[in-house]
Amino acid sequence: MLPTSLPPLSKGGHATHCKRCLSGLPSSQVDIDPAKLALSFYCLGSLDVSGELEKKTRGWEREQWKEWIWSQQTSGHYGTGFRASSYMTAKHSTEEHSVHDSPQIIMTYTALLSLAILRDNFSRLDRKGLLKFLRSCQNTDGSFSSEPLGGDSDLRTTFCAFAISTMLDDWSGMDVASALQFICSCRTYEGGYGQSPFGEALGGTTYCALAALRLATKQLDPLDRQKTVRWLVQNQASNGGFSGRTNKDADACYCFWCGASLHVLDAGDLVDKAKMASFVAFCQFKFGGIAKIPGEHPDPYHTYLSLAAVALLPPDSSEGTSWALCPLDPLLNATYQTSSWARAHIPALKVDDDDALGDAGI
Amino acid sequence: MDLPAEEEQPLYSQRPEWADVVPLEQYESVAPLAPIFYTDEYRDATNYFRGIVKSGEMSPRVLELTENIIRQNPGHYSAWQYRYKTLMALKSPLDDELQLMDELAIKHLKTYQVWHHRRLLVQQTRNPGPELEFIANSLQVDTKNYHTWSYRQWILAYFNDDALWSHELDFMESMLESDVRNNSAWHHRFFVVFQSGVRSGDEDRDAVVRRELAFVKERIAIAPNNASAWNYLRGVLDHTKISYCELQAFVLPYSLPQPPLGTPPEVVDLESPLPSKNSQLPCVAAVEFMADIHEAAGGGDLVKATEVGYVLYELGKYLTYRSFGNPWQMSTILYARDTGNTGSRNP
Repeated sequence: MLPTSLPPLSKGGHATHCKRCLSGLPSSQVDIDPAKLALSFYCLGSLDVSGELEKKTRGWEREQWKEWIWSQQTSGHYGTGFRASSYMTAKHSTEEHSVHDSPQIIMTYTALLSLAILRDNFSRLDRKGLLKFLRSCQNTDGSFSSEPLGGDSDLRTTFCAFAISTMLDDWSGMDVASALQFICSCRTYEGGYGQSPFGEALGGTTYCALAALRLATKQLDPLDRQKTVRWLVQNQASNGGFSGRTNKDADACYCFWCGASLHVLDAGDLVDKAKMASFVAFCQFKFGGIAKIPGEHPDPYHTYLSLAAVALLPPDSSEGTSWALCPLDPLLNATYQTSSWARAHIPALKVDDDDALGDAGI
Repeated sequence: MDLPAEEEQPLYSQRPEWADVVPLEQYESVAPLAPIFYTDEYRDATNYFRGIVKSGEMSPRVLELTENIIRQNPGHYSAWQYRYKTLMALKSPLDDELQLMDELAIKHLKTYQVWHHRRLLVQQTRNPGPELEFIANSLQVDTKNYHTWSYRQWILAYFNDDALWSHELDFMESMLESDVRNNSAWHHRFFVVFQSGVRSGDEDRDAVVRRELAFVKERIAIAPNNASAWNYLRGVLDHTKISYCELQAFVLPYSLPQPPLGTPPEVVDLESPLPSKNSQLPCVAAVEFMADIHEAAGGGDLVKATEVGYVLYELGKYLTYRSFGNPWQMSTILYARDTGNTGSRNP
């Protein structure tokens, strides 16, 4: 089969899909409530990586969104973080937040990135409280619960804790050694990482493990790295998409989880980028948005992760400008402009650094 | 099963038995991102739920209310949390709750909370026995569901009871019987055999390894182009530090083209079952395996490794042309690895 050029990437259409989701969701999407900030991040991230944020949204809208995200920052004896949404918040409730309205670690990570996308100055961030929150979430085995009260603890929450510590430029919110130990305990004989110890190797949590290790400047030993690369490459299917587990069908989100994992291991060149872009191209929905497989309905999660995968592992530039996206920081999972903003504005100002203020941002 | 009567219940705001509860509406201080246009039923039920949480009431009607919300939104984290607290406070019969969960789990197999709640309940009842059967039934509905398999691994590891473990290998064998490409089942087998301690009957580890190698070879023979089985084989060898070299006699026929018709059958070697007839050969995973053997044997001999890489690259192109699986990638990675070159795709 001769190579054919790709259909265009419909950036404008995907941005419109995400903008529409930010404006409102039908009642059938009620299960989004406990993960609303994550959905918002996928929408804002799509607009950001495709360079459409300024075109598709207005200044006052972005200000309003910031306000809403800040209104999800809540505090308690466990510290401070962001809750998913206001779905448990009662009208005229002024007393301290109940345990059923507590912050969540994945939501906190996505809130910080969303605010960075919106170029917030983070003057309202309770940094000390955030570190306390991380400490409240860490378990004795090194893992992190999604909430101080409990809930799921797996590699997703571990990655978020590492990403938050990176953005804060402060690792005092966790016991790094035991957290690294937990990551190792999730490794499987296939070379990937399961969601938790003993779990089957899975693309998403493999990314979480590898990105977290890299954020903590740890490297896999060469034999382990080779095994992981082998397994990740094996997951690219003949249609160009990636599967999340051995012998499963390809799904657009794994183009990012597996592709970014390879990138993190400095093996991004082993991805067949043209084929991956072709798979993403066929997952595009004709009225905007990207679905998990061709022919399905789109959603912001698959839209963002597909765009992020293409941004990180773009096809040949001869495919035209439609496929050109903003360069992506694979470790924090945001455009470099956004991740630089986060790294510059989220850390507390250190007293010793006062003299160096003029150098901020460099 | 959905009871029709349940769906026709009036709103809580219209039920006299709920008149004593002050419903609390959801409050947004600023216009929210991605507002959800709730149905009246959902808005009504969650208004009463916020009221209940504020008053701290734990009563049988709270169980009814939270079930109602969970049925409308199985991801409602707080409804699950509060329901569990209420069950504990009321000392409710947890077997009834587990029965309800049997129904909800099958309906919402991909909802995390369904499984988390179940773990909490079984930690209370400390009766893991029936769970394995429940899981087996769930796996009939979705044979690769991640939550279901994780739950099985958790049940086994958490209770760690010999009786629980005793049928796992048979169960795995039957799962692989119905789908030899089910990677979840292969993974589970690895967990049971190598990652969860040594159980009675399995003390002779050499015998266990022989058994596992025989098991995986047989299944590779049935379906050679099955990445799960090859990954398992590699896993067993890596775990037990057996050199890939020792498998050469078995792997070699899989790395060659299918012998032409009329070739006299080879002497049957039980240690090295041959690929089944009509298999698509050469098998990429076998070629990769042979390359690993050569690489290990070649030591620092980069030239030979490069030759192997080049042959594989050519083979990969051939296989891609025949559109088998994903050989292009496999050959590329082999080439890249063997030459220590990850920067270029062309030899």
